[in-house]
Amino acid sequence: MENKERKPVTKELPRPASVPCPYEARYETDVVVLGCGFAGLNAAVTARESGRRVLVVDKGRPGFSGLSPWPSSFRWFDPEKDDADAFRRAVLIGGDYISNMKWYEEWITDSKRIYHRLRDWGMLTPFPKPQEAGDFFERQDYAGYREAFQQLDRHEKWVEVLEKNGIPFLEYTMVTDVIVEEGRVRGVMGFHVPSGKVIAISARAVVMAMGGGCYKPSGFPAGGDTFDGEYIAYELGLPISGKEFEDSHGTSSVAPGSPFYYMNWQYLENIWPGGGDASQDNLKPFIESKVNFVVLGRARAAKNRLPASTGKEVTREAETNALRRGAALGYETDPDEIRSGKLGSPLPASDTHGGAIGMSSHLTGGVLCDLEDVSGRTGIDGLYVAGDGMHASYPGGASYPCGRGFTSCFCSIDGDHAGRAAAAFAAEATLQPLSEETVAERTEAITAPLRVERGFDPNWARDVLHGFMAPYWVTISKSEKVLEATLVQVEYMRDHVAPYLMARTSHDLRLCHEMKHKILSAEMKLRASLYRKESRGATYREDYPYRDDEHFLCYLTVNKTGEGMEIREVPVKEEWTGDREQAYEKRYLCYYPGEPEARGFHVEPPRWMGGGKKP
Amino acid sequence: MSVVRVDLSKCIGCESCVKVCPMDVFYFDHTAHKSVIAYPENCQSCGQCFVHCQGRSLGMSNDMFGFAIPAMRQTTTAPMNRVVVTEPGVLTEMTRGELP
Repeated sequence: MENKERKPVTKELPRPASVPCPYEARYETDVVVLGCGFAGLNAAVTARESGRRVLVVDKGRPGFSGLSPWPSSFRWFDPEKDDADAFRRAVLIGGDYISNMKWYEEWITDSKRIYHRLRDWGMLTPFPKPQEAGDFFERQDYAGYREAFQQLDRHEKWVEVLEKNGIPFLEYTMVTDVIVEEGRVRGVMGFHVPSGKVIAISARAVVMAMGGGCYKPSGFPAGGDTFDGEYIAYELGLPISGKEFEDSHGTSSVAPGSPFYYMNWQYLENIWPGGGDASQDNLKPFIESKVNFVVLGRARAAKNRLPASTGKEVTREAETNALRRGAALGYETDPDEIRSGKLGSPLPASDTHGGAIGMSSHLTGGVLCDLEDVSGRTGIDGLYVAGDGMHASYPGGASYPCGRGFTSCFCSIDGDHAGRAAAAFAAEATLQPLSEETVAERTEAITAPLRVERGFDPNWARDVLHGFMAPYWVTISKSEKVLEATLVQVEYMRDHVAPYLMARTSHDLRLCHEMKHKILSAEMKLRASLYRKESRGATYREDYPYRDDEHFLCYLTVNKTGEGMEIREVPVKEEWTGDREQAYEKRYLCYYPGEPEARGFHVEPPRWMGGGKKP
Repeated sequence: MSVVRVDLSKCIGCESCVKVCPMDVFYFDHTAHKSVIAYPENCQSCGQCFVHCQGRSLGMSNDMFGFAIPAMRQTTTAPMNRVVVTEPGVLTEMTRGELP
């Protein structure tokens, strides 16, 4: 017999038949935090600092999963230097008057503290760019650059912070159920993905910081987020909002579908600090640049059937980055001011849309809480939501005119607040362990796809759903007829595909659950988009191409009822809707294609349409 | 688009790829002491495994599953390129048009 030990292994090996699970089947804790991005990590540490026992569960490894590995910037407000009123007006006007100003105010008051917290954790430490540190850039030596600055790499800090704070965490564990009994949260259940072992956690309070999702990652690395939290929340009867507002992240014709090729250096460099860039003097271009980038460029491109640029424009992209990143105004000579807006390495332009189809515009998607609330409290006792895609906090309204780097900062604040509230609730609540019956019943449901003998491959279902939802006439430039037609397809998948998704391994089991979540999410998106018969911010209807303040100064929520999905309107607080008497062309600064002509007013074309002077 | 194995003999068994992959693409063979690209069809091409690969055993390629096709183009749009990166300084079959 040949000696296999001595033979070099050069051919890809098969997947090991079994993988050991390092975790117990049952846990008990005070606060369980689901998802460990910026929101989850801050929630966990704050709850721990309040003296509670905390357990974190993440579908991947904290720091490397979900969307939190990817921000290029982090912006905060400096109360001693910045113009709060300018920032408030930017968000009020630029957010199309549906911004949650209460949450935005939390960023004004709390972001500097959160900046210092993350800086102390080592997540915001600057280090040289690849071009400054040697020939990494010329040689395209990505791995070498990462290794050279490994000690400063923020991705590693998530686990370090958890360990330093004595917070245990379960990695690669997908949560599929939040258990609520008699109006109170009791715990969560899910499974360790590599091994398939089902895990049940009894808890006094739960913070869901599980992110949003996309149907298929096609240029923006959002693939680990698959609406898991949104699905659970909907099934619990919580109102899901923001589904109609579309995410703006694109992809590049240089390497379509590959975030690595056109964003690589951005993710390997430090997170660039930003902020301090709105003032009363530059308010108009500030809003225009944000809204154009996020919203109107896309609507115009869809109407013209053209990509946003040629995809070769490296330099232009660098300039755009300078504008979008935002350097603190007039603080150039201040040695203490590090919000420099410094540029990252040149990257190809992201010229075509649809990098993460299905994702909601930042901070619009997820559970809509009471408009007076700043803790992420849901209607269920002990259950809190936080972070992008999970908590419809709307600090940037319909268009996200907040400036680049806002989401990473805001999610940290959001998580911090939710962690504090959950800890306070847990301090008073009794722990009622999950019953054996509940665990057995949920285990049966979680593992059901493994027992399907003939059914659908979840990867095939993913591609089919992506095919239905990705065309620009479904998400970017919407109309009644197309939305209705797509809804028929998605309903068919809901009724005839989702129940028959088949898993052969625990990896497949994850995919099956994810697909079920994506199909529900697509239905919510289509129904909310159909209901909003207007265009506002990041939702554009070609059959209702302008804003309709009379009927739609409201948040829409999708709710589970006995008869299926029901859309409800939640009016925006009167004081957040601006001066309703003001003429439309004064009230709004940015207009949809053709709107001035249709409404009968004249406007000078803004800079980005060829008017005025270039900066 | 996905991760590819460039040279399995270079895998030193550090398990970095298994740790950092958010898509559950990688498994580990404890007998051979090598990582396994078990589910490349679920790779989102984020490249975290590639930049963390201590033995430089992994690469990024469009050979296996192809790039996504961008919906909209114009005559000047950058062409679909064939891109395989293996190790620093050695850009096999990499043609990135006019990009640096």
